Amino acid sequence: MKKNHKAIAALGVVTLAMSIMGSPIAQSASVVTLTVSSDLPLQGGSADQSESTNNVIKLLLKQMGNKAGKYKIKFKIYDDSTAAKGSWDDAQCASNAQAHVANRTEMAVMGTYNSGCAKIIVPVLNQDPKGPMVMVSNANTNPGLTKAWNPGEPTKYYPTGFRNYFRVVTTDDFQGSAAAQFAKSQGVKSVYVLNDTQTYGQGVAQAFTTEANKIGLKVLSDGTAGEGWDAKQPNYEALFTKIKATNPDMVYIGGIFDLNGGQLVKDKVKVLGDNKTVKLMAPDGFTGYPDFLALPEADGAYLSFTGLSIDLFPKNGKAAQFQKDYFKEYGKAPTSSFSVYGGAAMQAILDAISRSNGTRKDVFQKMKSVNIPAAKSVVGTAIKFDDAGDTVYHDITILVVKNNTETTLKKISVK
Amino acid sequence: MARSSQRKWVTGYLIAVAAIFIIYQFLFPWEGLPIGIYDFLQLWLPPTAVNESLVYVICALGLNIVVGYAGLLDLGYVAFWAIGGYCAGWFMSEFFYQINLHFFGSVARTAPGIHVNFWGVLLIGGLVCAFFGILIGGPTLRLKSDYLAIVTLGFGEIIPQVFFNGDDIAGFNLSNGTKGITILDPIPVGAKNIGPFDFGYKFIIFVLLAALMVFISLRLRKGKLGRAWLAIREDELAASMMGVPLMQTKLSAYAVGAFAGGLGGVAFATHVDGVYAERFNFSISIFLLAMVVLGGMGNVWGVIIGALLLSWINSTGLPAFGTTFNDKFGTSINFPSFTFLLFGLVLILMMLYKREGLIPESRLRLILHEGDAEEDLTSKESK
Repeated sequence: MKKNHKAIAALGVVTLAMSIMGSPIAQSASVVTLTVSSDLPLQGGSADQSESTNNVIKLLLKQMGNKAGKYKIKFKIYDDSTAAKGSWDDAQCASNAQAHVANRTEMAVMGTYNSGCAKIIVPVLNQDPKGPMVMVSNANTNPGLTKAWNPGEPTKYYPTGFRNYFRVVTTDDFQGSAAAQFAKSQGVKSVYVLNDTQTYGQGVAQAFTTEANKIGLKVLSDGTAGEGWDAKQPNYEALFTKIKATNPDMVYIGGIFDLNGGQLVKDKVKVLGDNKTVKLMAPDGFTGYPDFLALPEADGAYLSFTGLSIDLFPKNGKAAQFQKDYFKEYGKAPTSSFSVYGGAAMQAILDAISRSNGTRKDVFQKMKSVNIPAAKSVVGTAIKFDDAGDTVYHDITILVVKNNTETTLKKISVK
Repeated sequence: MARSSQRKWVTGYLIAVAAIFIIYQFLFPWEGLPIGIYDFLQLWLPPTAVNESLVYVICALGLNIVVGYAGLLDLGYVAFWAIGGYCAGWFMSEFFYQINLHFFGSVARTAPGIHVNFWGVLLIGGLVCAFFGILIGGPTLRLKSDYLAIVTLGFGEIIPQVFFNGDDIAGFNLSNGTKGITILDPIPVGAKNIGPFDFGYKFIIFVLLAALMVFISLRLRKGKLGRAWLAIREDELAASMMGVPLMQTKLSAYAVGAFAGGLGGVAFATHVDGVYAERFNFSISIFLLAMVVLGGMGNVWGVIIGALLLSWINSTGLPAFGTTFNDKFGTSINFPSFTFLLFGLVLILMMLYKREGLIPESRLRLILHEGDAEEDLTSKESK
């Protein structure tokens, strides 16, 4: 028995050694290969969206011949979720942050999907001794990452003082105010605000409440972000019976559909009547969910989205062509507009790399001057950033649910 | 037998620790390291995975005292991890920005918030958890097996919920809700602070904490308290008849176990540089329990192996295997999504063929194999 163990151990060592020898030791000197990566949750509820985002990036790179300027580009996929948790995992984010820095050829990161994860990764990339290393997000909408929001934000995420974080979608504060402005334009006089008690939901609901108060809508709910709904409740009839007594024109639900949003919407219609009698509005946490659209109670609900929905992309030019190419390559359309924004984020990164000298420091310097014209962008709007790293366009799309599909109503640009 | 075999284990671990420290402190950051070896290490054994698994070791050792030694099934151990984590969040960050309190902290004196030295926070976290351990122990004293498990399960659900919803307790922000507390003070070592890329030093600190737990476990096991725990585990009624004070003994098991959870919580918070309420869910309790059961309930070395193995598979092993496999065969299979299938299978197989765990405790082995025809029990016992 003992001998057997030793033999197995010896075999293990040999295989290990062989696998090391097998790896390419050096690369050809003429063309330098640089790595770009994505950092997204590949397990749990966001998995489909993340896969679609990675597909967008793969197609984009394929179309560019896997090249940016004089550099050859390799794409690496990181997963910031674990199966044990079924969603993004803080330990995995911390570990990925280290891996990005440790990967010597890696220049920049496209991600993350969740703002919470970005708050772990950004400070580490920021302190990279060869950096700072750039991260561009396609989906983080939490304002605190780039502007004063909670105490200490955003400076605590940038210990070295360099602002190495960028994003191509706009933030929840703009989304909330656009929603409030839209509500007013629809003749709404009074509104009851709910939130899902999470970072994102509270942020949007708070922005909505603030703007509503400013433009003279009557906010019937208490608190700065309205009333929280508990995702673990089996039904919300009591909640809406209480709301009914205040007689609102509209209910705004700031949050994510995953958190029992289906039941919430059903009970809203049951108690307060359909979405014509008492209007219903939700942020982008409710967009892109087939289960939500399938509900008969969702009919007539308004939704908002940070950025442009795919319907609002220009009907010709690069953006439209890219949609066709994607369909041809994968046999279906991208899961949501967030995925295409992943392509836009990658375009920004590749543009900076192509003009750089192939070091992280220089890629960071060049990020500030990224300016991709609308005609070349996969989302059909120009890609450029302000000093805080946010996109300069504050476009919010308003959609309405009609016949179980999201129909684009209009675009609101917040100043 | 015990002395010499333990010395062997200790030497083995010391060699492993030294090797890993040298690799990650000197070899890994060295630019001259061949890219093949570098990528291999980065893929299969990144330094963060090593440090993360040590946190699991610390917690699993604590759970081992409660479950493995005293035989009290605890399904809510994650609560202690959470409390430890939030102690780090409260006492070494700018979270309570209204206050400006410094106690040998590692940041500038002008920074707002409570800034206690890392080592002090470890002690606070451990003691607060020990207190909560006694608190949970109190009402469970008269309960046995299943009922006890249910109460601990409840405790493990309540505490994370308190943190989850604790951003507005009558106007007071206790936990910042789901936003969590981010950016903690760095760990000071002498005059220097440990930066985000000093894996080696963090590794040594985590190893020291794990070693402390090993020492506590082994010494207590040998002493009066440890023998009382074993007696309770095997037959509570008989133990109380022989004069073992049930209340004291059980409470101390909870307290010591929870203390380890506090240490692990603080260590983990510094590892990810923040605390998030979402992390502390039921599956983590089960994951820790699986480590203890798989490794060998009651055997310190077995539990360490179990914790290292399972946490490595979860964080690195399966994803790395998936990447290699997909690269080689051009497939795109999501291997990490099979984690629980694998864990479930392993546990079933273990229960069928090796119930006592990878490295069994000698006493447990005797009990589980009582009556096996081919085994000569008397000779085993004397060994």
